[in-house]
Amino acid sequence: MSAAEVDGGIRFALDGASKRYGNVVALQPIELTFEAGSTTALIGSSGSGKSTVLRLLLGLERSDSGCVRVDGHALQPADVLALRRRVGYVIQDGGLFPHLTALGNLGLLPQHLGWEPQRIRERAQALAQLTRLPPDALARYPAELSGGQRQRVALMRALMVDPDALLLDEPLGALDPIVRHELQGQLQRLFGELGKTVIVVTHDLAEAAWFAPRLVLLRRGAVVQDGSYADLRDRPADDFVRQFVQAQRTLPAAP
Amino acid sequence: MTGMPARLAIVLLACVLPVRALAQPVRIGSKQFTESVILGEIARLAARDAGVQAVHERELGGTRILWKALQQGDIDAYPEYTGTLTQELLHGVAADADIATLRARLKPLGIGITDSLGFDNTYAIGMRQDEATRLGIRRISDLRAHPSLRFGFSNEFMDRGDGWPGLRRAYALPQTKVSGLDHALSYRAVASGAVDAIDLYSTDAEIPYYHLRTLIDDQHYFPRYQAVFLYRLALERDEPAFVAALRHLADRIYEQAMRAMNAAVKLDGRRDSVVAADFLGTRIEAGRRGLWQRLRQRSVEHVELVAISLGLALALAIPLGIVAARRRRLGQLVIAATGVLQTVPSLAMFVFMIPLLGIGTWPAVAALFLYSLLPIVRNTHAGLVGIAPELMESAAALGLPQRVRLRRIELPLAMRSILAGIKTAAVINVGTATLAALIGAGGYGQPILTGIRLDSIPLILEGAIPAAVLALLVQGLFELVERWLTPRGLRLQPRQ
Repeated sequence: MSAAEVDGGIRFALDGASKRYGNVVALQPIELTFEAGSTTALIGSSGSGKSTVLRLLLGLERSDSGCVRVDGHALQPADVLALRRRVGYVIQDGGLFPHLTALGNLGLLPQHLGWEPQRIRERAQALAQLTRLPPDALARYPAELSGGQRQRVALMRALMVDPDALLLDEPLGALDPIVRHELQGQLQRLFGELGKTVIVVTHDLAEAAWFAPRLVLLRRGAVVQDGSYADLRDRPADDFVRQFVQAQRTLPAAP
Repeated sequence: MTGMPARLAIVLLACVLPVRALAQPVRIGSKQFTESVILGEIARLAARDAGVQAVHERELGGTRILWKALQQGDIDAYPEYTGTLTQELLHGVAADADIATLRARLKPLGIGITDSLGFDNTYAIGMRQDEATRLGIRRISDLRAHPSLRFGFSNEFMDRGDGWPGLRRAYALPQTKVSGLDHALSYRAVASGAVDAIDLYSTDAEIPYYHLRTLIDDQHYFPRYQAVFLYRLALERDEPAFVAALRHLADRIYEQAMRAMNAAVKLDGRRDSVVAADFLGTRIEAGRRGLWQRLRQRSVEHVELVAISLGLALALAIPLGIVAARRRRLGQLVIAATGVLQTVPSLAMFVFMIPLLGIGTWPAVAALFLYSLLPIVRNTHAGLVGIAPELMESAAALGLPQRVRLRRIELPLAMRSILAGIKTAAVINVGTATLAALIGAGGYGQPILTGIRLDSIPLILEGAIPAAVLALLVQGLFELVERWLTPRGLRLQPRQ
């Protein structure tokens, strides 16, 4: 990657933002800041509100109270489209559109922004190299790709227009262990190289610790602990954190 | 996949293009029975011989349809009976009103009436000649002496006030064995001796064929049904030669002649135009159209009906389906409304269109258009609503504006469902369009109608077979269009 891509990123903040769906509280009023260029992992069990944080930051949902701040400014509905173009978003199954080839998926936003086909192709090839996607996979449809390849294409799509931030929601959740392990390594390297604001949601503590120096543990829509892996392990805020850390299985010792 | 909207546009255009201009000669209508068609044909040929360009919109339907069409100017003239005018169409007119009285009553409606053409086609009671002779029955009042006789009356005659109930009272008839029959079947019933007396129309071709005696209405119970032509009074100014030709037909067609013509068409299977031309001592146009020419013309008419109505339906139903998918409440309403349209029986739908749009191609197109809406709206809605939520979210998160998402992502993903809806609408339309002949729009329904009237299976097949073939062709064509328009990526089985 060129040096030009190493830039400041976006500073996100949740300022008393909360969200409920009917009677279910997804997120209690929360104060949380993501510094520009930092990498953070949101962890917690399912239903803890970690995905809701990402959805609020992208404007996919509006908070019931408080606000979302982007570089200090409260996010307005009119700004949402522009914000989304500065943010890459990757979900569990990739969210690739089955009617388009990998390249077609990658080209959706660039095409709308008026990029020449040649430029799209070159950018796609560069990203294929970065994510180690076989170049001939670009011409294939999602149904013709393996799970790992699909996830790589989804990541590439998020990176196409060189966004300032990357939000990933269980990006490796649907992959088998070997591919997952391989991609974990690549992602960690990428996060370090890109210099973007990265927020990754996972329920796997080991993966979170591997990706990010800062872990935010959520439970029932509230932050339980915000710190490094060492903090969580050595100075758990309460019994839940202790249990959560202990619940991560290690391999049994060899007999 | 950039070509998708362009391809869709091509399909749409191909549907809408063959709109044709309609010429405006004098239009003569006829009702759905043989005598009316023959009279219509006589009027057309008489007009032609008088140098007036005229077309015959044959077998448009029943009395009400013709009467409405005449008042609205969709047709310029049609054959009618004075009894129908006094009993059904005009109110507060004596049953025995003469033609001068009727003329005065029709004038404010802008309708003119010729003098009697020369024959009556009234209700009558008929018996087998040998049986009547044996029992000594010549007049209706003679029936009183034979209470055990069995009567078989057409269903309409059973119910009408001026039918059986009135007849029984007027003549104090004692018979109790009275059953309702279809008129076409009642002749066979009386001929075989299953019933002894039936109602009939005095010019029915079957009367001499089955050797029936028409009983004398000695108490003058039945009103007179003198045959006349009704025409729009405006024609006296615009087409005086036509009105003169119509008037010239008055007092020229006698009962014997009319009955013979009915028999020639109905029993001998001769063409009505030939029979009409023979009567006038003129000739029909050279070059009788062969089967293939008829087929070609009807195919053009039929395909036009289906294509235009489908094209218009696409232009409205797809946007409606999109709106329905976007707004849940409104969507329910739209789908319910188009669903209600679908439940209107097709015959009723065609008839409803007449007061709004008259007769011919356009009301038929409108009716078919309404029928096409539901399958397309519903499938468009279902296709869009059925897109996986994570794909919708991915699309939103990309930062594309809504209309771009719709065009590049949502519509292609819903394409299969939308195309299936269009296919359903098209195939149903091919079938329903056969009813369009009832309101003068032509197509494959025309020979079916005539075939039913003349009890001719070959004629019915001449319409039914092409209609079935067309339905299969449309089905096949849409399979191809589906292959062409469905994105390849959607036809693949996902790899695990």
